[in-house]
Amino acid sequence: MTALSSLTAPQQPYSYGYLDAHAKRELRRRMLKAIAVPGYQVPYASRELPIARGWGTGGLQVTLALVGPESIVKVIDQGADDSVNAANLRRFIARMSGAATTTDAVAATLLQSRHRIPEERMREGQVLILQVPDPEPLRAVQPDMSKSAQMHADADYGQMWLSLYEQLVRFKQYIQGASYPSLVNGRHIISPSPIPRWDTPKLHLASHLTILSAGREKRIYAVPPYTTVAPLEFSDVPFQVEDQSGRACRTTGVRNRFMNEIPQTDGTSQFELSDSGYAEKLANGIMPASTYYDENGEFYHAGILKPAVRPD
Amino acid sequence: MTHPLYTETEARVRESFLVLMHALSFPGRPQNLPAAQADDAFLLMAEALLDLETTCFTADMALDGLLAQTGARRADLASADYAFFPVLTDEHAASLALAKTGTLLLPDTSATLFIGCQFGGSQASRWTGPGIDNEITVRLSGLPDVFWRQREKAVSYPLGWDVFLVDGQQVIGLPRSTRVEPAAG
Repeated sequence: MTALSSLTAPQQPYSYGYLDAHAKRELRRRMLKAIAVPGYQVPYASRELPIARGWGTGGLQVTLALVGPESIVKVIDQGADDSVNAANLRRFIARMSGAATTTDAVAATLLQSRHRIPEERMREGQVLILQVPDPEPLRAVQPDMSKSAQMHADADYGQMWLSLYEQLVRFKQYIQGASYPSLVNGRHIISPSPIPRWDTPKLHLASHLTILSAGREKRIYAVPPYTTVAPLEFSDVPFQVEDQSGRACRTTGVRNRFMNEIPQTDGTSQFELSDSGYAEKLANGIMPASTYYDENGEFYHAGILKPAVRPD
Repeated sequence: MTHPLYTETEARVRESFLVLMHALSFPGRPQNLPAAQADDAFLLMAEALLDLETTCFTADMALDGLLAQTGARRADLASADYAFFPVLTDEHAASLALAKTGTLLLPDTSATLFIGCQFGGSQASRWTGPGIDNEITVRLSGLPDVFWRQREKAVSYPLGWDVFLVDGQQVIGLPRSTRVEPAAG
């Protein structure tokens, strides 16, 4: 006689990776289209998760659709592995997949990030998953989503250029800090999520695949490897990254990396490395991999970052 | 703490998807599907992407029955999200004029094509575009010239269809963003 239990699969409280098979398949279909049209925001279903929308659900869904038992996952929040948000997401991913976790950007196969790209260069085969609060770069110039979608369809970016020009007229420099609008593959303007300007050039002709996902806004877009990502700039006033010169990390002493500013009671500031995984390596005497910016602050793709020009 | 079971189906579907993702991220580089037998390749890819929310088309009778098992609805080529051609004849290639290329507002509503051919051979082409470090020379055979003419007509970036070329257990991605030119010499 056949026992009933032999005919059924073992009872599972959760699907592998939390999301059910249909959710994962839908997300995967959208990811492929996002890769095929770099920078175009693909609508997707965005399922409910046990964390609130706005706390990284977009990135989390992508990670859950990609993760497997052999994956090595790193999650960072503003560069830090140990913030509450990053630690909880990392623990949830590990619980739902059995994947190993790490703080080493070089060892990770999947790197989910809120608003930073590591200092060490990512390589082919790694996937960077950026959490996106607002995927629409045109929001400030066109709050109506159906109209901004039409502007993307027509590559009608005149208003973006106008807003840049107005910044130059009023402030003599581009004042947009994080999520600096960038043209991907010469066609679609993206918001690269609120990564600092320091990180924006790292997407240009990168070796790794970047997937950006907004859970609340239900949009997913991608920057494939070796794809041009050009921060918007006028030819006579080049785009600038945040000036890190004169800043030294108070624990490691390193310079020319993206720093967190720590205000002191006497009104001065001290600085600390934003990338905690990188700082950890330096503190433990582990040789880090090559970085995007060298010791002198030179970017690894020569000629991408140009000297500052202040218009008359 | 134990994690949810990584079932055989889960593993197969995920690994097939990762192959497709890498194939599309690095156009022109062959990727290996986790297929036990070469015949399974199309089915593995279908299983990774197709379900009742999608439509599919194939001219291959044997594959048609198997695709139905995914739950995907049959459709004609003009409306199918996914189309499978284990062998692409001249007539099939000519019919690709019908396949969806998406709209400027929603370029992701285009078709994805899975086409059988042979990797290697005399027909060399030079591919450039996203996912390709500078350029890559790809050698293919078994693809009718009509296919390339249809692709040229269909792809008006960001419109166009995305293709997975399949030889046995290997897949090469050819997204619409890739520019294909005959190799010099």
